[in-house]
Amino acid sequence: MAQSIADEVAEEIKKNKILIYGKGTKTQPQCGFTMETIQFFAKYGQPFEVINVLGNNEKREYLSKLTNWPTLPKVFIDGTFYGDTDILDEMERKGEVKPLLDAAFNQK
Amino acid sequence: MITKETLANYIRRALPDADVTVTDKTGMMDHFIVRVVSNQFKDKSLLDRNRLVYQALSEPMQDGRIHAAEIKTDVPNPS
Repeated sequence: MAQSIADEVAEEIKKNKILIYGKGTKTQPQCGFTMETIQFFAKYGQPFEVINVLGNNEKREYLSKLTNWPTLPKVFIDGTFYGDTDILDEMERKGEVKPLLDAAFNQK
Repeated sequence: MITKETLANYIRRALPDADVTVTDKTGMMDHFIVRVVSNQFKDKSLLDRNRLVYQALSEPMQDGRIHAAEIKTDVPNPS
């Protein structure tokens, strides 16, 4: 049911300061872009979660509507949507990622 | 599969002033790096810029001609 997906996603976003919805898992990414995103966050050393939505079209549909973003991976940091490495690379170039992560993890 | 020209035309249809550069990332004509420079990106967030490009490419992305696109957006430097 759509409602349970909404609750499920809301909980996942709340529970994980860095959350990647992607194709495959953290240890076995099944898409180059999901792997790139994992490598991106691995550099910062903060804990992050990868949730595999490959094959779960209902959840993918929900996420695409929620974020108005048609592709995977989808990254949430501290509950806010940030797209994918197209966006994060640009933010990193401007030095915006480190402070964002520091803030996310210092707010205990 | 889609040709770089067809892909660029989809973007120009939505962003007529856009300067579009398409690179075929793998040679399989379905993974692209798409660079779009347009005035319409002015004072738009990075996310909204990419959303504009995704909307322009929604048809070839939905029908699978484009598997993946790395999107780089920019505004023309003030001449």
